[in-house]
Amino acid sequence: MSAYLAILSLDIRRQWADRTRLIASFVQPLLYLFVLGSGLGASTTMGGASYLQFIFPGVVGLSLLFTASFSAIAIVFDRQVGFLKAVLVAPVSRTTIALGKITSGALQALVPGLLLLVFTPLVGLSFSVSSLAAFLLAMVLSAATFSALGVAVAARFTSVTVFPVVSNALLMPMFFLSGAMYPLDRAPVWLRGIAHLDPAAYAVDLMRAALSGHALFPVPLSIAVLVLFIAAMSVLSVRVFQKGEDD
Amino acid sequence: MAGSPGTAVLVAGLRKNYGPVTALAGVDLAVAEGEMFALLGPNGAGKTTLFSILSTLRSPSAGTASVFGHDVVKARTAVRRLIGIVFQDPAVDQRLSTRDNLELMARFYGVASGEARKRAESLLQSLHLEEAADRPARTLSGGQRRRLELARSLVADPKVLFLDEATLGLDVDARRGFWAEVRALARRGLTVFFTTHYMEEADVADRIALIDKGRIVTLDTPRALKNELGGGVIRLATEDDEQAQAWLASNNYTPERNEDGLMLVSKDAASLLPVLLRDMPVKVLQVEVHEPSLEDVFLRRTGRSLGDGAAAGPHLFRRIGLA
Repeated sequence: MSAYLAILSLDIRRQWADRTRLIASFVQPLLYLFVLGSGLGASTTMGGASYLQFIFPGVVGLSLLFTASFSAIAIVFDRQVGFLKAVLVAPVSRTTIALGKITSGALQALVPGLLLLVFTPLVGLSFSVSSLAAFLLAMVLSAATFSALGVAVAARFTSVTVFPVVSNALLMPMFFLSGAMYPLDRAPVWLRGIAHLDPAAYAVDLMRAALSGHALFPVPLSIAVLVLFIAAMSVLSVRVFQKGEDD
Repeated sequence: MAGSPGTAVLVAGLRKNYGPVTALAGVDLAVAEGEMFALLGPNGAGKTTLFSILSTLRSPSAGTASVFGHDVVKARTAVRRLIGIVFQDPAVDQRLSTRDNLELMARFYGVASGEARKRAESLLQSLHLEEAADRPARTLSGGQRRRLELARSLVADPKVLFLDEATLGLDVDARRGFWAEVRALARRGLTVFFTTHYMEEADVADRIALIDKGRIVTLDTPRALKNELGGGVIRLATEDDEQAQAWLASNNYTPERNEDGLMLVSKDAASLLPVLLRDMPVKVLQVEVHEPSLEDVFLRRTGRSLGDGAAAGPHLFRRIGLA
């Protein structure tokens, strides 16, 4: 347990030591929300204000997805610079390391995600206590989903130069398919079909359900999918740390 | 091969292949508890591979290795509890302060937070890092950085310390300072197993294993290794090493040819040299006479030199260019 907490405090101290990255991770979702959102919103049938409200959970999802993936890529950076070896020679179970890394990635992703909540009045959104609580829970579940995926997939690489590849081949399709920027129920059938395979679609839908009450997938289904996905990715993540330096 | 009670590290028939490349071709050695043991060899000899297996980061292809009787594959956690390691590359976070690095690493090893603070403080003091305690690691000098790595490897009070080329890239003063700290630890009973390709660093060890191409070439105390070469070593570079070798052989000397030229071991090298220079029918370009060094031992055993990092030993005569 103390090793698990040590990983968290180590990573949070490191994130705080690198505040510029935090600011950078905050700019992208704002661009999507206010620039792309305002532009697209002006020509949707939803009307400008309601379009921004519609995409807000999607933009939070985007922020969580990219920040969590980036913190997984930080593990690759640690491997490249040698820091990871100091972690791997310690008498700590690989499961603890994997779960610690997934948790710390989720926590790091939640920081800019929570900051986005500051902008809800500008978008015209208001929360009740229960909708805020539900939204925060959905955010936590989403952050854990993306972090577990990041550790299981991205942290396997040996060089950070693969990040743009991961981003284009995995993250952008996940984001586009998630229904973050458009309502999936009005999308073509083939697209809606593929979206069923995208964990980000369930994450965004769950957050949207918390905010507006409208959900595409039944809420229990979304929660079940995300929990199972986190469990599966956690198992794969343990393997990333079990193999040590051997390929 | 079973380890006796005082065995800290035991390696038997250890092999490691990376695809078609053989990094370790069957290594056997035993390091006694409390011993300072050096593994000396050129870059690419397999030193880092051996250490990454001993520190549980890689698995061997064949053979076994154990630390205080715990197998490095089957009992990884037990091994990890007993070892500290300084890698060639830095393994601390560059943005965190020296103190934070040590404190957080101690907590990662399961030391309670109050105790971790004390542990970090005492390491800062004993390794003379107080001045750098609250600065980010990246601002430290080369010598301070390596002492921080040493401090990091000691946070959990290990019984065996592995140092893999721990002073690579340091200047002579910083290297001397680093080894003074390590010797102090060894005097207090810590087993120190280190790799180097600087032969003067290996000279401080109780025993040295010379390694080349994944094999232990020879293993003994520094004195015994050098004694096998006798009194002095003459090294020659001539216009025609082949002819020179033939002439020397026909005059009952036993020259050895290697990539640097010719090497001749003699009880009285100093008085032999003028005779050679006078009588040899080949023009001598360069000549060097010195007491036997580990470099000579390595050269004689493998026909290859230790590489750039190997400084020459104490010379009786300076290197004389005759061309």
